[in-house]
Formats: sequence, structure tokens, C-alpha cells
Amino acid sequence: METLIANLAHGFGVALSWNNLLFAFIGCMIGTAIGVLPGIGPVATISLLLPITFGQPATTAIIMLAGIYYGAQYGGSTTAILLNLPGEVSAVVTTLEGYKMARRGRAGAALTIAALGSFFAGCVATVLVAASGPLLTSVALSFGPADYFSLMLLGLIIAAVLAQGSVIKSIGMVVLGVALGLVGTDVQTGQQRFTFGIPELSDGLGFAALAMGMFGIAEIILNLDRPEARSVLTTKVGSLYMTREEVRRSIPAVLRGTAVGTVLGILPGGGAALSSFGSYMMERRVSKYRHEFGTGAIEGVAGPESANNAASQTSFIPLLTLGIPANAVMALMVGALIIQGIQPGPRMVEAQPDLFWGLIASMWIGNLMLLIINLPMIGMWVKLLQVPYRYMYPAILIFCSVGIYSINNNVFDVYLTVLFAIAGYLFAKMKMEPAPLLIGFVLGPMMEEHLRRAMLLSRGDPMVFIERPISGTLLALAAIALALMLLPNLRKGKDEALAGG
Amino acid sequence: MRLNAKDIFSGLIFIAIALIGLWLNTEHAMGTARRMGPGYMPWLTFMLLLALGVIVLVMALTSGPDPLERWAWREMSLVLLGMCVFGLLLERGGLFLSSTAMIVIASFADRSHRPLGVLGVTVFLLALCWWVFIYQLDIRVSVWPQF
Repeated sequence: METLIANLAHGFGVALSWNNLLFAFIGCMIGTAIGVLPGIGPVATISLLLPITFGQPATTAIIMLAGIYYGAQYGGSTTAILLNLPGEVSAVVTTLEGYKMARRGRAGAALTIAALGSFFAGCVATVLVAASGPLLTSVALSFGPADYFSLMLLGLIIAAVLAQGSVIKSIGMVVLGVALGLVGTDVQTGQQRFTFGIPELSDGLGFAALAMGMFGIAEIILNLDRPEARSVLTTKVGSLYMTREEVRRSIPAVLRGTAVGTVLGILPGGGAALSSFGSYMMERRVSKYRHEFGTGAIEGVAGPESANNAASQTSFIPLLTLGIPANAVMALMVGALIIQGIQPGPRMVEAQPDLFWGLIASMWIGNLMLLIINLPMIGMWVKLLQVPYRYMYPAILIFCSVGIYSINNNVFDVYLTVLFAIAGYLFAKMKMEPAPLLIGFVLGPMMEEHLRRAMLLSRGDPMVFIERPISGTLLALAAIALALMLLPNLRKGKDEALAGG
Repeated sequence: MRLNAKDIFSGLIFIAIALIGLWLNTEHAMGTARRMGPGYMPWLTFMLLLALGVIVLVMALTSGPDPLERWAWREMSLVLLGMCVFGLLLERGGLFLSSTAMIVIASFADRSHRPLGVLGVTVFLLALCWWVFIYQLDIRVSVWPQF
């Protein structure tokens, strides 16, 4: 306990430095902005800003990127409530009750509970990350190569299973991601694999080029393809104060939402979107006021908004303790860390105390900033929506292009991004999910290394993966997850939940 | 017809990539399970991809109908052409010239753009790019054309 407090104090010391405060603030502002704006999400934005963070120390870079992720969860609720327009996937369920509340003239109250619930959930999640970090790390240190391989396999399978659409196709995308991760120099023999003699490929396909092409540029083409549908703000925000009745009803919902979000955030493949759906489903079942759902029940805002914020912070736990990304955003964080020369893994808490504790402290500070950024300044964010997309996409395009060039000072990366953009657009048109591909791409090289090491240690006996208790358990979990999702009923439930509640 | 066209193409994409990968992988030593060569993991990966591709293809025969959507060829080619021109011009022409070319080309992708709006966006973005990338980050690229 005392070490925890000492560590947190150290973290606050790191996070409260001027530079880190500034970048946490920038991250929160950008996060809120893209949360408000539909058509650009955290994955695209973070990949876009990766090159800009390289000049900064690793801690500062991660603090800012994290701010974008949880800031987007705050911002997403604003447009969902006021305009019935989810700025982020995780805010889709907020539209269900939030917009109804706005129609009843309670928009202000809905915005307040969304922000306060998020703040509360963020604080709880932060404490949990701080407490579980060192604990999980000591567990992770007893992991052998076989256990790691199985853990990554479990992560990949859950990521595929929880992705939208066909499970088999998502697994295919994971495998395709692993395949793309093979490009480059083989670490153990130094042989060039799949590089076609192109020297730029000997370090592997550029992570930033892949992420930007598939999520940033492909998204622009998709948005240009769709006709723009932006409604003008007609509802009044009204008083931000909640009535005593609303406060009383929200508290249990916030608590339940925080719990659901915390748990679903830690799961590999989980994250903000999944947990807000989970929380909404739960509120609709257990709330005392469930008959009011569909007409603007405040529980339907308080629960999911708390849940998605809790999840966006607890999803850092697997990354910081095991080095395994739980979702596409965390895969980007791995990319950012590796480019900074830090190998994510169980030794990170010890080896990079500034990064670990600084990030945790910055999350709490960031939540406080977001409360201030969001509530009094709500009018400004709504105005942002009036910027038409035709002015936004050239900005994204130019930041992508200059940013990708600046990583290696090489135009090859720009062309690579173009290729990945074509691939990303093709995948979108074929309903192939790019998020599992990104996770596979990040985990693939690590999996190969652990597989080779495990097989070397076991003298070529594959039974080691089943015989070791940790590895065997993880593989069994993976098999169960896979089997469950192949059952038609459960799959239907998942698709409905992800398709919009 | 219950063909799922999207899934058929997805399956074919998986199979095609897997076959190309397996073919390219023939030049890498497989090694043994104990001492894996550089070709072992690719072989596993592409075989798995091939199998998944076949499963997706077979399942697509009855899971439809899900026809292919129209492609936004115009939007896609203009946006990507803009990026390629940017790449070609950047090192010789400098940041401002290449960025302007990209913005102007990409602007044609949205029919609601007006010349004055494009001019405004260009000026604003050039200023922003200069401030972020040259003034703040100091990346090694020239601003004006090099002769």
C-alpha cells in the first residue's frame, strides 16, 4: 500500500511536469474534437499523430495518445445526446436514451451525467490500473515462452471473435495481419523474407503506414463515398444542473456501468464500444425504471458513458503488464512504444516506472481536464460540427502524408500508405474488419519469436503448449471462446449488440 | 441465388495471398520443429490462411445474398493520386508546392468544393503544416523548390 502511494506520488511528479501537462491537455482536446466529429475516430487520429509524437520522450508521447483515446469517449457523448449522431462507435447506445432526454428538454442533465459518470469511472479505473499493474506483472514474470505464445493466441482469437461480422473472416484477417508482420529480416537468421529486394522493407512493413493507410486514408475515401448527413443543432442544451431525482437514479447506474466497463476493458478484444453496449443491455435488464427505456431514461446515459470511459482506461492493463494489446488502439500504442525503442512487456513497470506511473497519474489529471473541457465549453464543440467534411479531409490527408514522410524521411512510406489505403478500402467494401488485422500485425512477430523459443526448449515437442498449466488454461479459454461464437444463437446476439443495440 | 458475393471475394483474396505467400516461401529454409528456419512460421501462417480462405469461400455459397457495392473510383483515384503526386514532388519541389498540388487534386474528389474554398483551405493548411512540421518539429524537408 505504501509503495503504491509512493509510486503514485512519483507518477504525479512525472505527469505534472509542464511538458506532460501540456501534451495531456493537447491529447484531451484533440480527443474531444474527434469524439465530437463523426467520420474520424481514435484509431485514425492516433495513427495520424504517431509521427508527431516521435520527437517527444516516450512517456509524453503515450500520455498524449492515451488522452486522445479516452478524450474521444467524452466527446462522443456530446453529439450523441444533442444531435442523435454518434461521434464514436462507443456512443451509439448513448443516442438511444440521450437524444430522447434532449427532446424532453433535459439535454443539459444528460451531458452532465455523461461527463460526471465518465469522470467517476475514469478515477476508479485509474486506481485499478495502478493496483493491478505490479500484481499482474509479478504473475507475468513467471510466464515462459510457451505461455506467452498461448496468451497471444488467446488475445488474437478473442479479438477476432468480438469483432463485428463473420468470425471466420475476422480470424482470416488476424492471420493476414500475422502474415504481413512476417515481411522483413528474420531475427534469428538474418534472412530477408518477402522483401522483393526492396531495402526499405528489410525492417518490415511500416507500422504507421499500415495504420494510416487502412484507418486514415481509407476512411476518407469511404466518407467521400457516402453523402454527407449532418443535422443542424435544433435542441437547446438547457440547464446543466440535474434534479435530485436524476442524481438518485444515476448513482447505481454509474456504479454498475463502471464495473461492467472495468471488466470488459481488461478482456482482450474488449474496449470502449463493447462495454457501453454491455452496460446498456445490463441497465435495460436490472434498472428499476426499465419501463422508461426508450423514452429517455437517465440510466441509459449514465451507465454506458461510465462504462466506455472505464474500459478505455482498463484496456491499458494488458498492454502495460503483459505487453499485449487488447484492441486496435492499444495495438497502436505498442507501435508507438516500439518506435520509441521500448519493448512492451512485463518488465515495463520496473524498467519504465516514469512511463507506467506517469501514464496512470496523467489519466486522472486528464479526466479532470476533460470535465472542464467538456461541460462549460460544450457550445464550442457543437460549433465544430458545422465545419463541412470537404474542409476536413484535406487536413487529414496532408497531416498523414507529411507525417508519414517525416518518420524515415523517405517518400517510399508515402507510396506504401497509398497501397494500404487501397487495401483498406477493398476490405471495407468486402466487409473484412481491419482492426483484427492490425492486432495480428503487431503480435505476429512476437508470436513467432515465442513459438520458436518454446519449441527449442521443448526439443520440438508441441505438447509443451498443453502440458504447461498456464499455457494449457489459456489455450482452453481460446478454444471455448471460439466454440461459443460458432454457436448461431450467441453469434446473433453479438451481431445485434454491435450493430446498434 | 444465395451467393454471398462479398464473402466469395474475401475468400478468394485470402486464398490468393496464401498461394502467393506459399510460393514465395519456397526459397526459405523450413528447418525442423525444434530448430525452426525462417520459412517455418510463414508456412504455418499461409497454410492457415489458405484453409480459412477455403472455408470462407465454401460458406459464402449459401450465406448470401450480399451483392458487391459500387466502388467510389473517382474519389479513390483522386485522393490517392494526390498523395502520389505529393510523394513525387516533395523532395524536389519542397513542402509547399507538393502540399498545394495534393490539396488541389484531392479537392476534386468532393464535388461541393468551390475554388475560393480550396484556396482558403490550402493557405490555412500550408500555414498549419509549416507551424507544426517546420517550426515545431523541424523535420528535414525543404519548404521551397530546390534547383
